[in-house]
Amino acid sequence: MRTGLNGYRVAILAGFGLLLLVLGLMVSNLLSQLRDLSAAAGDNTQWSIAQLDTEFANLDATLADKLAGGTVSQEELQLRIDIALSRLNIVNSGRAAVLFGQNAEAADLIAPLNTFATETIALSDKPGPLGLDDLRALRDMVKTVRPDVRNIALLGVSLGAEQSQQRRAGFAQQLTRTGGIAIALLVLMGGLMVLLDRLLRRAANRDAALLTSSKLLTSTVAASLDAIVTADDSGKIIGFNASAEDVFGWTRQEIIGQTMEDTFIPHRMRDAHHNGMTRYLETGKPRVVDGGRVELAALRKSGEEFPVELNITSIEDDEGTKFIAYIRDISERKIDEQKLIDARDRAERTDRAKSQFLTVMSHEMRTPLNGILGVLDLLKTTKLTPQQERYAQIATASSEILLEHTNEALDITRIETGTLQLTPQAFDLPELVTSLVDVLEPLAREKQLGLTLQIEDAMRMGFVGDSNRVRQILTNLIGNAIKFTESGRIDLAVSGIHGPKLSSVKFAVTDTGAGIAPEHLEQVFEDFVALSHGEGRQTRGDGLGLSISRKIARQMGGDINLNSALGNGSTFTLTVPLERRDAIPDKDARPADTPPPTARPCKILVVEDNNINRKVLGDMLDGMGHDVQEAVDGADCLQKAGGTKFDIIFMDISMPVMDGIEATTRLRAEGGPNAHTQIVGLTAHGREEYREEAQRAGMNRFHTKPIRLDALHSIVADISAIAHAPLGAAAPTDALRDLCEALGPDKVNEIGERFFTELDAYTTQAHQGAFDDDPAALAEASHKVKGAAALLGLHALEAPLAELEQAARAGDLSDLTPRIKALDALAASERATFP
Amino acid sequence: MTHTHHSRILAGFLAVFASAATPVLAQDALALQITAAASASEPVELSLEALDALDQSTFTTTTIWTDGETRFSGVPLKALLAHLGAQGSTVEMVALNDYAVTMPIAELEDDAPIIATRMNGETMSVRDKGPYWVVFPYDSDPKYKTEVNYSRSIWQLNRVRVID
Repeated sequence: MRTGLNGYRVAILAGFGLLLLVLGLMVSNLLSQLRDLSAAAGDNTQWSIAQLDTEFANLDATLADKLAGGTVSQEELQLRIDIALSRLNIVNSGRAAVLFGQNAEAADLIAPLNTFATETIALSDKPGPLGLDDLRALRDMVKTVRPDVRNIALLGVSLGAEQSQQRRAGFAQQLTRTGGIAIALLVLMGGLMVLLDRLLRRAANRDAALLTSSKLLTSTVAASLDAIVTADDSGKIIGFNASAEDVFGWTRQEIIGQTMEDTFIPHRMRDAHHNGMTRYLETGKPRVVDGGRVELAALRKSGEEFPVELNITSIEDDEGTKFIAYIRDISERKIDEQKLIDARDRAERTDRAKSQFLTVMSHEMRTPLNGILGVLDLLKTTKLTPQQERYAQIATASSEILLEHTNEALDITRIETGTLQLTPQAFDLPELVTSLVDVLEPLAREKQLGLTLQIEDAMRMGFVGDSNRVRQILTNLIGNAIKFTESGRIDLAVSGIHGPKLSSVKFAVTDTGAGIAPEHLEQVFEDFVALSHGEGRQTRGDGLGLSISRKIARQMGGDINLNSALGNGSTFTLTVPLERRDAIPDKDARPADTPPPTARPCKILVVEDNNINRKVLGDMLDGMGHDVQEAVDGADCLQKAGGTKFDIIFMDISMPVMDGIEATTRLRAEGGPNAHTQIVGLTAHGREEYREEAQRAGMNRFHTKPIRLDALHSIVADISAIAHAPLGAAAPTDALRDLCEALGPDKVNEIGERFFTELDAYTTQAHQGAFDDDPAALAEASHKVKGAAALLGLHALEAPLAELEQAARAGDLSDLTPRIKALDALAASERATFP
Repeated sequence: MTHTHHSRILAGFLAVFASAATPVLAQDALALQITAAASASEPVELSLEALDALDQSTFTTTTIWTDGETRFSGVPLKALLAHLGAQGSTVEMVALNDYAVTMPIAELEDDAPIIATRMNGETMSVRDKGPYWVVFPYDSDPKYKTEVNYSRSIWQLNRVRVID
């Protein structure tokens, strides 16, 4: 727009320049014509030449008169001669000479005239009056020369006419040129007029458009819901709309002319505002200006500060920069936001409280359940009437169901809070499913249902995965199938595909039950959903079971799918990716119904703050023939363990005064008689939370309460098999025994010597501070010694060494000295086991 | 008065002849006869010496009748008429050959034209446009280079008469 206008202005100025130039040309042209016209002397020259003939005629007549004896005086004659001669001069000089200059004919005519002049002068200047002869001679000369005089006069006229002709032609040419210029001028003026007209029309249109848009803008600003404030580059307010009056409490009249700084910018922001404005005007770099929406605070006239959403733009005009601020009062929105945030926080707090409550409740329920189940187990070992035995059986079954529900509630909480942890371990797949079917088979048999198992040959191998979770899911699936099938059978089919690294293992549980309608297929996996038949009897879904199973399966990277049709039974398929491993089946996976190995009598310390549980556990162990002592907390444990060496310590994790973690750590670190005793951690909190912590503290095993009699049998038998002989006699480990058999005692002693020398060097180095500033070296050395200990089956040494390595890798060398001391003590006792 | 009449009514050289026969040639040809007012009966005769005694004006100019620059000096016509107390609106100037021209007195300027008595410092003979030549300073202003002024540049001036 502006450039267009400039273009027009240039065009118009150029037009005017051209006009001036043309005008100048015309004026100079006309002036030169005028000069030519006024200064031309052609006619006068011609007249002068023509007069020559007249004067010669006069002279001739005077001479004739004189010769005829007239009264002409001598003076008059002389005057006539002089006048005629003077005329001849005219022909020879000035414009006449120029006129004749190049003409050959003129030269021929002028020559006799000049001769005549010379002769006449000679004659007339003779002293004395002219005689008759002189007069006659003069008359003859005049007569002779008169034709020439006449001819020169005629020639002058004709040359003059020629010259006039040329001048007229030139004049005509000049007139033509001037006329051309005049036409060009008119055309140019016409063009400029058209241009001007166009510009005028355009300006008028633009004015109209501007007026419209200005009206539109005015009404927009006036009607805007946002406050609109305009300010100049000194911050002075020049515009303030109706909304601004509402928002800030200032009237337009009051605030116009004041600065933003002095009115609605909060005091604490005034410096920042001032600097920002100065910076923007100096550098043109905006921060708030043209920077989109920002949230700031503003001040009402009443002095109250409130939050605003602000958008500032700037425009440049002839008077400098102008700022336009669009301001929205967001105080209500902020209040609402805060309310929402509060509500959300409250909801989150409530949710956390719910989870917390569930966890605590689960714990609180498990502890008495521990007691109930323990006592029931004990009760069943006593002499009971068949009726009593049936009651005890029912009580046990009910308690087990209650325990299962508690566990489920805990699982849900863990899944929801994201704290569910998987514990991968090596297991044998056929063994896992076989034991599972063995356990559930009696349940199926009760309902006259068949339970079959098919394992694809390719799947008869070891895997690594959380076998406990797999078992939990399959128990749930098969349990449900038994529960909801009235007749027929249940099949468990295990198949799978071996991928490059992982195997996808598929467990399909098929029943011959009522089936599930397609629209309910997904519903059965939802929390607390149980589908019911028309008669109100529960048929499928057991609340949490399926939902939990699917969530766990998904956390393992697998899934549970359901394929079913009403009347055609259902197939629940669990698919999990498992790592292949040909390993010996884990001891934990030992079938529950295999008879527990008989353990040698051991010296056992039970550390438990709950009186009932402590008593039950103690009675169970006592009933198994072990020597049991009891401690009520960690501190009591340390005291009792300080004087007596135990084979096994059952240690509750959560206890008042001193918890099991700390007690274990101290037992291991202080190097007392029980520094290497097998410690079994017990917790009611579930299976995972304390497992890592317990391992770090130095516990050898970890078990969730309630601990059942069968499990207790297994644990004690396992431990007594690898632990020291009763009453503290040193006994070689299984691995060592194997080594002795393979290599002979001498060779083993030699290897042992070398190992203990190496261990001594390691602990000496540590005592001398070689590792104080080098955790990496410590980790390396610990790893090496640990490997050697593992080879020799020195598990008591292996564990603390592993801990040292772990601590070193974490950069934690704080309690190095006590750890090394404990290691030394341990080494001494282990050394004694060598043959 | 009578001969004036003659000279104005009669055309052709016979008439010139007749008029010239009596008074012109009777007196000094080099003297300038001036009739300062239409009512005056007798003309005043001014000799070269008398003219020289008046305030002189000198300029150099080219003319269309001469070659190169020429220096003219003489008495401005206006000053001359003023000196003689001329009354009237038009002045008539007549040459020896009775060539006559008129000029409104109002158009006279202080220094243009002059009645030149000398050309390049020399008096002028009749043979050379003398004895008096009315000239304008043509070069000093283009306004003098007009046909009218050329026609008023009368040479061999003999008589000056104020008429009307």
